[in-house]
Amino acid sequence: MKRKILSPPVLLLLPAMIIIVAVILLPLLLSLYTSFTPFKLTRPDTFYRFIGLRNYERLFTDVYFWAAFGRTFVVLTIALNVEMMLGLGLALLVNRAIAGQRTLRTIMMFPMMFSPILVGFQFKFLFNDNIGLVNNALQSLGIAQAIPWLVDEYLALFAILTAEIWSSTSIFAILILAGLMAIPRDPIEAAKVDGCTVWQTFRHITLPYLMPFMFIAMTIRSLDIARAYDIVQIMTAGGPARRTELLWTLISRTGYVDANMGLANAMAYISIFLSIFFTWYFFRKLMAARRYMGGAQ
Amino acid sequence: MMVSHASRKILLKWGRWVGTFVAMSLICIPGLWIVLSSFRPNVEILSKPAVWIPENINLDHYRAIFSSDPGQGAVPVWNYFQNSMIIASTSTLIAIIIGMAGGYAFARYRFRGKNTLFLGFMLSRTVPGIALSLPLFIVYAKLGIIDTEFGMILIYVALNLPFTIWLIDGFFRQVPEELGQAAQIDGCTPWQAFWHVEFPLAKSGVASAAIFAFLTSWNEFALASQLTRSTGSKTLPVGLLDFTSEFTINWGGMCALAVIMIVPALLLTFVVQKHLVAGLTFGGVKG
Amino acid sequence: MKTNRKAFLAGSALGLLVLGATSATALAADELMGDFTGVTLQAKLIGGNQYEPLYARITEWEQATGGKVDIISKKSHFEIDKEIKSDIAAGSTGWCVGYNHTSFAPQYTGLYVDLAEYLSKDTIDAFVPAMIGASTVDGDLVMLPRAQFDVSALYYKKSLYQDDARKEAFKAEYGYDLAPPATWAEFKDQAIFFADPPNFYGTQYAGKEEAIVGRFYELLVSEGGAMFDADWKPTFNSEAGQRALQLFVDLYAAKAVPSGVLSYVWDDLGSGFASGSVALNLDWPGWAGYFNDPKESRVAGDVGVIVQPQGSSGKRTGWSGAHGFSITEGCANKEAAASLVWFLTSHDSQLIEAKNGPLPTRKDVWTDLIAFVHDSGDDYRSEVLTAFQEAAQHAFPVPQFPEWVESTNLIYPELQAAILGDKSTSQALDDAAERVADMMADYGY
Repeated sequence: MKRKILSPPVLLLLPAMIIIVAVILLPLLLSLYTSFTPFKLTRPDTFYRFIGLRNYERLFTDVYFWAAFGRTFVVLTIALNVEMMLGLGLALLVNRAIAGQRTLRTIMMFPMMFSPILVGFQFKFLFNDNIGLVNNALQSLGIAQAIPWLVDEYLALFAILTAEIWSSTSIFAILILAGLMAIPRDPIEAAKVDGCTVWQTFRHITLPYLMPFMFIAMTIRSLDIARAYDIVQIMTAGGPARRTELLWTLISRTGYVDANMGLANAMAYISIFLSIFFTWYFFRKLMAARRYMGGAQ
Repeated sequence: MMVSHASRKILLKWGRWVGTFVAMSLICIPGLWIVLSSFRPNVEILSKPAVWIPENINLDHYRAIFSSDPGQGAVPVWNYFQNSMIIASTSTLIAIIIGMAGGYAFARYRFRGKNTLFLGFMLSRTVPGIALSLPLFIVYAKLGIIDTEFGMILIYVALNLPFTIWLIDGFFRQVPEELGQAAQIDGCTPWQAFWHVEFPLAKSGVASAAIFAFLTSWNEFALASQLTRSTGSKTLPVGLLDFTSEFTINWGGMCALAVIMIVPALLLTFVVQKHLVAGLTFGGVKG
Repeated sequence: MKTNRKAFLAGSALGLLVLGATSATALAADELMGDFTGVTLQAKLIGGNQYEPLYARITEWEQATGGKVDIISKKSHFEIDKEIKSDIAAGSTGWCVGYNHTSFAPQYTGLYVDLAEYLSKDTIDAFVPAMIGASTVDGDLVMLPRAQFDVSALYYKKSLYQDDARKEAFKAEYGYDLAPPATWAEFKDQAIFFADPPNFYGTQYAGKEEAIVGRFYELLVSEGGAMFDADWKPTFNSEAGQRALQLFVDLYAAKAVPSGVLSYVWDDLGSGFASGSVALNLDWPGWAGYFNDPKESRVAGDVGVIVQPQGSSGKRTGWSGAHGFSITEGCANKEAAASLVWFLTSHDSQLIEAKNGPLPTRKDVWTDLIAFVHDSGDDYRSEVLTAFQEAAQHAFPVPQFPEWVESTNLIYPELQAAILGDKSTSQALDDAAERVADMMADYGY
């Protein structure tokens, strides 16, 4: 009896576990090991020199690393929240549209077709202060200033966030839309009959149903947002003067350009905590939302 | 009272219409700029003062890409396209099959360590690419699967799995458990109950998971640039860099390849998203 | 660019026949073909349209020697560097011929063989001596340069210098005649004079990563300074260093450059000059064709090129780099690999490549190229070639030690901080020098 309850899920999950362990976990252990070495790509012998926590000690006193860490946290928070709000709005709009649903839905997903590396070049040229489309348009409208989008600290982060939000809001929108479509009609009809306003219906019936989907989207994006690396690298490469330095640009430069893979992996491991925090936070929210809905736990 | 209610409704309708239009424009413009750029000579794209109304629309960038002389801008686009197609669709298919099994297990069964395992899957996705790319390179190099489609499929399956499992789990949770149980009481095998009763209801979830998985693999750059090297396995995003040299860039040409890359993905999305509609019938079925 | 190329290619076929006949005997010792039937060489090459015409010649080598070339990797400049480093780390260095660059070469310690053992002295002597010097690391000739040599010359918008009203205004303000700048001091005057932000800018510079450090480095040298002393102690925070950095700062403060320059690298710079909104542009030979092609560039027909200006020490700037090919220690058939490397950098290969625009690295190819361009009657190309030929005489490579690229990553944020006014030039350079010194100490210098 007990075996019967246990074995089907294990069986079903086995292929997924094997792949994750083989392709993610094992390589990760290898890089965890290198984070305790002074491993330099161009000097393979350094792979075998164990230096304990030296890399980590060095990072804990590195101001630039922690500045990048904090900035990444802020950027992540802003990006995820804005993307979710916009995605929710977009999904509601598209859901209500009477005609052209199919086309609208496809348009909504349009930015998802753009590879992050392309998005980087695209927005770098759009925000170029001299010949970019944005400043050209502003100048045509009579603004006699060339706005240094990619140089000013806040504008540069704004430009990067714009690129990131443009490319990723669709993911929220489509997930929330899918959630909207899975909402049973009855409670909404019942609410209408009971005389609830549109807002009340939305707040007390639609939103709770959507919550799990929103948190799924949030979690997935918080995991996935490191993809923004390509965008940031091409647009500002963390500059000028480290004003837009994020963990991903820093780690990647340290690891591959400087070839200091050991140190870079130590950074990566510290940054994993950031991801774990976001993931754990949204995961708990997701569980709470599910309990609220009385769904199967 | 009635009038104001009706006029408010009209206002709301118009507001929604305008809102939709504005939102769609914001989404489209940066993308359409790429599409437009692919048909314009470079002199017009990045120009000052800006050339707002294209003076010169032609297929030169496309002609160059498909020409046979690499010195003139030819790119082995057909190879890249084939590689991208094979890698993205195979990895999606595998991720969906494995992910459906996993998602179903999470949605339907209680077992010890379930939440931990679930969280563990998710966390496997938090790994920064850099921590993964070098060890993968080393392991792949030792196994001899570097620069192969198989290697890329493997890593994309692993990347897409957590995401697919999670999504499908969420959708199966929405399908009442009683439906499957009822079918089994009526004499269906568990497999039949799943395939004929539960799966159709979660189809929309599977469809969106598939779209996501496909697009992730289709557009991924960082790992592909590390693990592929020749025309035998290079994918389209990696091919974009063919338009750069150490100091120069052919932006128009890059846009043209980007369009070649975007169009199939867009068509596929247009076709597949139809299945998202299946979710619409859900409420009715439940009632 | 495309139409130009076609013309060059058509002309080159004819030119080659003639040259082949006249120089065949003279070059007898500078020759390395052989019978390599059954040998397959794995090669990693830089990809990109500009580099492809040479690879088309590989079939000729295969037919002549019976060997085969398997191109196992073709990536962009930085991507292939990443791959080669990963290969070293993974120990997967059994391939034979690899892309190399004078700025990257010192990093790959122990990966490549000394080519001097496989090439005749005549071959090595046929190259420009400075190129052989730049390709030599710790006494080993680790790469043989192809005709992709890069040094910057000064592109400028001609019409600006032909406008009488401007000439008068300039003379009144600065007290000397308006002509394309011969010194960096003049360059600065003129850049500020021409600037009319946000519509028009005097000049622009690369503002991030290795690019800005390279530009700083060459200015430093032209001001009489050096990055390091003989013991590899940083010396770039000298007075010469401050003067060099001050030029970047002044141009930025005067708004003579777009304020976005700090995010620019080469693609932004080329596109900016081609848009017609920049007066002076120190840039690479790779853009020459692009700038004068009406389909690519708004300044086509209005482009002048002269040798780069000189600094206060009388030395000209001349940060340079060259692409080349190397052979790995792990290569199973080094003779065949050497033959391929020789072939790809041979007189005929270089001439074919150089006719498309890039600069050669062999002495006799320079001579033949100049004759060819002169005969073609293309005045713009003659001007370009003359300017770059002179530019090449002042060329120098980056400091040759493995951590050069890594040190640039420590330096550039400080340079940016000074340009933005966050730090004084001396403070920024001192900070950078301290960080570089720390790093060097870590590596035991």
